[in-house]
Amino acid sequence: MEIIVKDLTFTYSKKTKSLAFRALSGVSLNVKEGEIFGIIGKTGSGKSTFVQHLNGLIKVQKDSGSIIIGDFDLTDKKCDYKLLRAKVGMMFQYPEHQLFAETVYDDVAFALKNFAPDLTEKEIESRVREAVTITGLNYDLIKEKSPFDLSGGQRRRVAIAGVLVAKPEILILDEPAAGLDPKGKREFLELLLRLKNDFVKTIIIVSHDMNLVAEYCTRAAVFMGGEILATGTPKEIFSDEMLIEKSGLDLPLTASLTEKFKVKGVAVDSDLTVDGFVESLCRALKGGKI
Amino acid sequence: MRDLSFGSYFPAISFVHKMDARAKILIAVAYMVAVFLVTAFHFLGFGACLLFVLIATIAAKVPFKLVLKSIKTIIFFVVFSAVLQLFFNKSGTVVFWVITDVGLLNAGFIIARIILIVLGASLLTLTTSPVELADGIEGILYPLKWIKFPVHEFALIMSIALRFIPTLIDETDRIIKAQKARGADFESGNIFKRAKALIPVLIPLLISSFRRADELADAMDSRCYAGSKNRTKYKKMHFTLRDLLGVILVAGLIVGIVFLNNFYLLSELATIAGAL
Repeated sequence: MEIIVKDLTFTYSKKTKSLAFRALSGVSLNVKEGEIFGIIGKTGSGKSTFVQHLNGLIKVQKDSGSIIIGDFDLTDKKCDYKLLRAKVGMMFQYPEHQLFAETVYDDVAFALKNFAPDLTEKEIESRVREAVTITGLNYDLIKEKSPFDLSGGQRRRVAIAGVLVAKPEILILDEPAAGLDPKGKREFLELLLRLKNDFVKTIIIVSHDMNLVAEYCTRAAVFMGGEILATGTPKEIFSDEMLIEKSGLDLPLTASLTEKFKVKGVAVDSDLTVDGFVESLCRALKGGKI
Repeated sequence: MRDLSFGSYFPAISFVHKMDARAKILIAVAYMVAVFLVTAFHFLGFGACLLFVLIATIAAKVPFKLVLKSIKTIIFFVVFSAVLQLFFNKSGTVVFWVITDVGLLNAGFIIARIILIVLGASLLTLTTSPVELADGIEGILYPLKWIKFPVHEFALIMSIALRFIPTLIDETDRIIKAQKARGADFESGNIFKRAKALIPVLIPLLISSFRRADELADAMDSRCYAGSKNRTKYKKMHFTLRDLLGVILVAGLIVGIVFLNNFYLLSELATIAGAL
């Protein structure tokens, strides 16, 4: 499913003039199937408002642009949001805070029971097993446990299993690695790659972590003040000095190293992933004077 | 849920906003007493109350639409009480079906009473920030210290509760969205089904409230918070001419209504006397 957003504008408290706040203005964006798309920008730049549009949690306001996702036209009044939300999964910041059920099994099965009420208990069980297992948890050990007895990292896995169980084609992650320790973070990102290969087709990541964006995203969009400043590959974005200055973004480690090497006279031209950076650094050093 | 509704503060610089919170609370209470003093069938008193609210609204520079909006939240309650009066009041003569003229009058009376009270109350919260409100109540309750009532702690509990309302609303909003993203449906089905649909929202909310309370207590402890003893205030409240004017106005309202009530009573007595 391709995502096509045209000229999207959104205003909070539209009716009360004195409190109206325009969170998005004229945002246009295409995300193709198979991408890992990054959405970056400072707090309050409209990122969250934007992604919440993509599964109809925020409805497109009248005469404020359009969103088409696969066969769904989100400006259409008859749009089936429930079906859309099954196809476009969304994981909020600190998703472990939304766990509520008595057992891990019940919590993970929640989405499935909502989206596909006709499934038999056996089918539900096998889907839940699949979703929990792919997050790297031991299903048989954990299924009867209370989610509140788990560790932070485990809880987050349960929460993401609760989204994955509906088998969404597009997965939206809002700050997926926030609040995890380094090990948890690494494992979580590995999980993300695993998902991308055989579970979901498209992933959209909202993040402040530029290293994550540079390492994993095929493309990214920079938000500022409710507008998109630029869209492009991490390399295009992070090598645009004017853009970085204007948007106040951090550089990923690979990009700042590239700059430092450039000052020293070594031109490293990579895609800004760690492996790519090391590769082209070696090439530059071997071929160069040093 | 970001939209303003009953009980939220409307920031502005105005005559009413600048008033002493203690005075405002007392005036609001006095105003409510005035509304209750209006006896049935003397709608002129309600007119006076409405005029008072209108004057206060203009002086507060609050859009009247916002004040009216507060009614929206209690509309069910208003209609319910009015319907009760309409159908179950058996006195008076029947006007239509089971509805009597007294029932009709009583219904109108109750509608007017509730709406006027809510208008007054919402004007108070619209012009007084939660912190001021809590400070004001603390000021008013201060004499209770005499009987060892923990006024400061009481006010603190209240201001914490008020302070966390927007936070909790945001949190609720977030959890509702998260569960909606997982296919939860809060808008369809009968009342039991909808109540059951709220469980996935209420449980996370409860848990996060406990977590927040713990964190807040730790934060207060770590800053050596020790209650009211020897505590000074950052913002001192002062009773000014402004407040005096408000008090005079509300006193005038009460006197007027009492006078009106007795005036009717007197004139009725006079007619009875005349008939005799």
